[in-house]
Amino acid sequence: MTDQPRPTPYQRAARRRRIEAVLYPAGALLLALGVWQLVIVVFSIHGYLLPSPGAVYDTLTGQWRYLATESVPTIEEVLLGFAAATVVGIAIAVAIVTWRPFEKAVYPLLVASQEVPQIAFAPLLLVWFGFGLTSKVIIAFLIAFFPVVVNTAAGLRSVPTELLDLAHSTRASGFTILRKIRFPFALPNVFTGLKIGVTFAVIGAVVGEFVGSGDGLGYVLMTANGRLDTATLFAAIGVLVVMGLVLFLAVSLLERLLIPWHVSQRSAGTGQGTGR
Amino acid sequence: MAMTDRAGLSADAVTFEGVGMTYSTATGPVQALADISLGIPHGHFVSIVGPSGCGKSTLLMLTAGLRACTAGRVMIDAVPVTGPQADTGIVFQNDTLLDWRSALANVLLQVELRRLPKKRYQERALDLLRSVGLSGFEQRHPYELSGGMRQRIAICRALIHDPHLLLMDEPFGALDALTRDQMMCDLQTLWLEQRKTVLFITHSIPEAIFLSDRVVVMSSRPGRIDDIIDVSLPRPRELRMTTEPDFNAYVQSIRQIFERRGVLRTEPGAERAQTLAQAHLKAPAPPGRP
Repeated sequence: MTDQPRPTPYQRAARRRRIEAVLYPAGALLLALGVWQLVIVVFSIHGYLLPSPGAVYDTLTGQWRYLATESVPTIEEVLLGFAAATVVGIAIAVAIVTWRPFEKAVYPLLVASQEVPQIAFAPLLLVWFGFGLTSKVIIAFLIAFFPVVVNTAAGLRSVPTELLDLAHSTRASGFTILRKIRFPFALPNVFTGLKIGVTFAVIGAVVGEFVGSGDGLGYVLMTANGRLDTATLFAAIGVLVVMGLVLFLAVSLLERLLIPWHVSQRSAGTGQGTGR
Repeated sequence: MAMTDRAGLSADAVTFEGVGMTYSTATGPVQALADISLGIPHGHFVSIVGPSGCGKSTLLMLTAGLRACTAGRVMIDAVPVTGPQADTGIVFQNDTLLDWRSALANVLLQVELRRLPKKRYQERALDLLRSVGLSGFEQRHPYELSGGMRQRIAICRALIHDPHLLLMDEPFGALDALTRDQMMCDLQTLWLEQRKTVLFITHSIPEAIFLSDRVVVMSSRPGRIDDIIDVSLPRPRELRMTTEPDFNAYVQSIRQIFERRGVLRTEPGAERAQTLAQAHLKAPAPPGRP
């Protein structure tokens, strides 16, 4: 410990909170792994039904090259699907909010379309677009774009009437108002949508690979399942979890950089008098 | 209706001619304003006081050209209002500042939306912020500032393009009493400096009298002009004047209008308060106190 100036009680409390934020989930995870191992020993469960945490660890370290190679196509599908969902989702949300006929015509259909499980379309998309990258990207996109649309539209609508009145009094164009006021105002909601969307995109890509694929982590899961190789199965799931977490954290980091002004991003110390 | 005969004069900055406003709602049409005729001369500070729901804010929106009236017409410099008025500045009860912009950038928003040269207005924005006591806070963000400071920024934003007409809709309504008094004084100074035509909406009778050349008293549902009172107190007015007899006479006369209309009912409340006060005197003193 080489703390040069003595930390204030506030700083110490903040540091403790940060450490606890890591320590508590890590402790819970370790406990779960312990219970897992204990269950296997006590009930003498066979390795093909449930591998021990040690066996999964061995697979992860022993086959990391294989797992890494198979991660690449999955990551590609997720990123492309998510990128498409972001662009198309935001564009549709803007159209819904700024163009009445479009809202009336499209929004009900869009909501209704969510009642159809998109995954059910996966086999059809494979027929249409083949076993390659395209079909999985489309499935990832289809699942990820709805939360982006709904949240962005909600954000664009939440601009106070008075602010819009003020903007209209300047005779600014609709596009200027969108660019300077509405869109920045909606950013917190946009990011809520993106954070849900990126998680959904991972699900979409894996489901696409389940249905028909020659590579990717979804393919690894299917083949390992066929061999009753549960250790590899768990290892692949572990890789997917890490992938999802990294993507989620990347979007969160971007959010922190782009909207430092928002309530959700302020650290407790900076907000002085809000006066409201 | 004292001003009806003067309403037609083109010398007025704002003229209302038999203005009426009816909203259609699910339960049928609701008349918000009826037969409003009023002239606001150039450079005058005119307040509108009235109970909630008397259509004060609607009147302001009509003046700004952000809503259209359903009867009569509103004119600015003798030209009928048909759309948003560029030569106005608006201040609302909520400061409606953009959280992601600094104080200075918030003031300049108006300049950007109007596509005016930003560089030329930068200096003016800094001057305005200085004149409302915000020098040193130009780069702060709204969430770092108090309610009063935020509303000062909103006022600067409304003045940056140097409009002839300033429209204020209960601008101090969300502030605490002490801040309100300070803002009232500062607004007077600002007005004495710039002499803009101001249409000021408020709930507060003392606020209206302190600031205005003329107070328009409105009755509610539908909103009509009940009386117009010219305030001839000398300027600059100071806070201590608000407790002096001249000032109180104005407050009384407006309060009486509201009492007459049943907007303010003091009688039944006063009786009950008196009974309670007497009961309190008769009651034995609480134990442990001298």
